[in-house]
Amino acid sequence: MIQFKQVSKVYNDEVQALRGINLHVKEGEMAILIGPSGCGKTTLLRLVNQLETMTSGEIILHKENIKQIDKIKVRRQIGYVIQSNGLFPNMTIEKNVMIVPDLLGWDREKQKKRFHYLMELIGMNPDEYRRRYPHELSGGQQQRIGVARALAADPPIMLMDEPFGALDPIIRLRLQEEFLQIQREVRKTVLFVSHDMDEAVKMGDKIVLMRNGEMMQADTPAKILLHPKNHFVEEFVGEDRILKSLKLYTLRDLVKEVNLCSITDINDKPSINLDASLHHVFSMLLHQGYQQLAVVEQDKLLGMVDISVIEQFIRLEQQKLL
Amino acid sequence: MSWNKRIAIIVKLFFSIIVIVFFYWAITNNMLSHITNEATEFLALLKQHITIIFISGGLAVLIAVPLGILVTRPMFKKVDWLIVNMANLGQTIPSLAVLALAMGILGIGIKAAIVALFIYSLLPILQNTIAGLESVNKQTIDAAEGMGLTSLQILWKIELPHAAYSIMAGIRTALVINVGTAALAYLIGGGGLGVWIFTGIQMFDHTYLISGAVPVTVLAIAMDYLLKGVQMMVDPKGLRLARKIQHMEE
Repeated sequence: MIQFKQVSKVYNDEVQALRGINLHVKEGEMAILIGPSGCGKTTLLRLVNQLETMTSGEIILHKENIKQIDKIKVRRQIGYVIQSNGLFPNMTIEKNVMIVPDLLGWDREKQKKRFHYLMELIGMNPDEYRRRYPHELSGGQQQRIGVARALAADPPIMLMDEPFGALDPIIRLRLQEEFLQIQREVRKTVLFVSHDMDEAVKMGDKIVLMRNGEMMQADTPAKILLHPKNHFVEEFVGEDRILKSLKLYTLRDLVKEVNLCSITDINDKPSINLDASLHHVFSMLLHQGYQQLAVVEQDKLLGMVDISVIEQFIRLEQQKLL
Repeated sequence: MSWNKRIAIIVKLFFSIIVIVFFYWAITNNMLSHITNEATEFLALLKQHITIIFISGGLAVLIAVPLGILVTRPMFKKVDWLIVNMANLGQTIPSLAVLALAMGILGIGIKAAIVALFIYSLLPILQNTIAGLESVNKQTIDAAEGMGLTSLQILWKIELPHAAYSIMAGIRTALVINVGTAALAYLIGGGGLGVWIFTGIQMFDHTYLISGAVPVTVLAIAMDYLLKGVQMMVDPKGLRLARKIQHMEE
């Protein structure tokens, strides 16, 4: 759990980097900090592991005020992933991953086991990469190692500063998926800085939108997209915010709320699985020029979906979130 | 094969031939005869020469490396330039003048020679230490700090391995220059192989000159190769790979 209470930061007595931030990130929750550059998102993240010092306010990690714990000790309990160049090029992959456990004095056997577990978790062969060096790996692999290293000592909290920002789009998407998988298994409390709204919508349990050191809105992705609090948020999330929100729901969510159209002649209509995202359904409806798609679950036909059904559902969600 | 490689091979071949011809001439004309005829004298001078180099060089390493580490720490960041400038100034004074100054203070003898060469070796080592430590990527340091390494651990596990290659290059430069400069120690009564070189010059006796100069040259080349080997050894494998890849991308 991470709690910010009235956190402010002033640089050189004049530049106000953060103004009275109040934020509560629950245990096992992933909060995405997002906003235009210079909004203070990275500064906020770096306050947690005390790479920056705050001017006023409090940060509480699991009931402990960070000012009262030793700086070095706090950092070793927090996983830290940065954009690039974070790996130590002079050390082998194993040494890199095991750096914090090594500092904490884990014995060799325990380290070896942990290394194995972590490498399997990130989908890389432990024995193949153990003795390799960072520069022998691709950018995506390096970043996977960065994630494994942050998880090494099983810290309750992870700080990720645009971890996938330097990767090309295809690799970035893949690593996002992989990290979501990992997060489902390890359930860390994560603060994640991003500048990409799609990434935020996809990854976040909560999105924290910032501007000029102030928090504009901190809500679930659905709420941010369907009910932006002010003009700035609305503009930042983009004109296609309703379209983006379709990524948050599947047909399964839809059938709980609204009725599908009755079954008509389905011979010429493609079928779609109940677990498909509404975004996918919607683009199929537009792209292929069908009026309707047949919704199926394990070969059982449930009904038909068309654009008006989706529209009805989104209206309903919008009202529900008010 | 590229043109550069071809030219390099031609140049190497050319100089190898010159060296072989020179040695053939020197040996057939008994130019190196003093080395065998006066073996004890030669060994004594060689020992003096090596002593001057290693004591001055060793002291310079012991002072310049820690000094370089110290001035790159955050608390000394502001005086960094001052120290580098002072060392720079030391380097602008001709080696002969440094020797003369050392003699002025310490009198004639091997001690003055050692002190002069020590001062002269400080700068290349100091400069390379600072450059090496400052070349470490800031984000790498940031990551290390964020994960809870202490400053001492960062220095030991990250910064020094990164700087090792550069520091060793500085030591190599300093010691190789020292081999040549130590020949001037004769001028202030410091001994060394310079004794034969200057005797040869003063007496127009090429046999003395060459018997002194050739071993100095050989010593310098040997020192260069030896320290190059050490330089390769202290350079971590991962960094060597990183440089190679960077080189390829350029």
